[in-house]
Amino acid sequence: MKIKFILNKNEVEIDANPMTRLIDVLREHFQLLGTKEGCGEGECGACTILLNDKPVASCIANLIHAENGVILTAEGIAKTKIGTLLIDCFDETNAVQCGFCFPGFLVSSYHYLKTDGEPNLEKIKIALSGNICRCTGYQKIFDSVLMACEKLDLS
Amino acid sequence: MIFYRPNNLKNLFELLENSNATNYFLAGGTDINLQTKNIPKNVNIFYISHLNVLRNITEINGHISIGSTATFSDILHSDYLAKHLPFFQNSLKFFASPIIQNLATIGGNIVNGSPTNDVSPLLLILDAKLELISKNNSRIIPFNSFYRGYKEFDLQKNELVKAILIPKNAENNLETFYQKVGARNSLTISKITVAGLKFIENNRIKKIKIAVGSVNEYPRRLVNLENYLITKRINEIKKDELTKIIAVEITPISDFRSDQNYRFVVCLNLIEKFLGINF
Repeated sequence: MKIKFILNKNEVEIDANPMTRLIDVLREHFQLLGTKEGCGEGECGACTILLNDKPVASCIANLIHAENGVILTAEGIAKTKIGTLLIDCFDETNAVQCGFCFPGFLVSSYHYLKTDGEPNLEKIKIALSGNICRCTGYQKIFDSVLMACEKLDLS
Repeated sequence: MIFYRPNNLKNLFELLENSNATNYFLAGGTDINLQTKNIPKNVNIFYISHLNVLRNITEINGHISIGSTATFSDILHSDYLAKHLPFFQNSLKFFASPIIQNLATIGGNIVNGSPTNDVSPLLLILDAKLELISKNNSRIIPFNSFYRGYKEFDLQKNELVKAILIPKNAENNLETFYQKVGARNSLTISKITVAGLKFIENNRIKKIKIAVGSVNEYPRRLVNLENYLITKRINEIKKDELTKIIAVEITPISDFRSDQNYRFVVCLNLIEKFLGINF
């Protein structure tokens, strides 16, 4: 089945089984390796992408869900103003340890900054509640997102 | 596996009628994608998430109708539900996590039929009904009678859950309780869930509804417990009687999440907390 969607601002079309997991479409067909597979069950958030402006676990979504939709992956977000700001904040607080979970954290944090952006720790914790960091560096991750919210507020 | 993307409901039921394999409906996919290893190869998959008629949240005859493919995000962001069913909406805030809420659907949560599903204890105490449709028929059943056993439902072949109906005034003037216990605060997968509604006047229980999840083969109301409690004064409730009734009505199992005894004790504790008693 031919399925069209917008991927990181480019129109794309793929002819594949509509049940193919979105993560496999992104990694194997489009070579977008920023989207990581951790648990493969939606519980760890390493595969988080934005589908129609909402963060979703791409390991439990299918290609059909992207039909005529819009996808933004960590690679696409890294090129945006807010994405760059977040990456700078993660860097400044030394939040990144092994790095495997970070594309997912970037996507969920980007969505929080776009839709709310209040420097509110409790809200940030809920926004990032689908993402797990097994290096357990949560405090610095929250600090980074708080910092990004404050910097965005000033700009 | 053959994949179908019906254009509308009529088309869906025509395709279903002509199918001679096992049929699966695909909505958000968050459960089906975990089961792909167990799904036989010769199945037909019918995609339904794009059919907007199944996704609306509207009011019909004094009931709030939530389309079966409404996602948990749709529910959490509905101003209409915030106004009329705030307890129902708030209770689902900690359903899974945002990256699952944006895909998972309320109908999927019901028909996946997990004994731990978050939504059923709420629907049970709110006296919800299900609207079921098939090619030539439509029927409304009490949600209370939908589950028949572990992953067994009152659902005919080629029948689809169209909507969940909740009486608009289901929460009015009642004290509400919903608590699930799990291993983490984020993405809480329930070990025990207790939902309750009560109305107490002059220290006497005038209305009481209690439903539990994760402690039976499917979520259910504790009818014997409700019968014991109704019309009693809170100080007349006896610990040994309460324990005995609950011990008959719930049958927790031991699994990788917790053991039987833990589930029993925590369930009892939550019910005591809901009733506001401290033995």
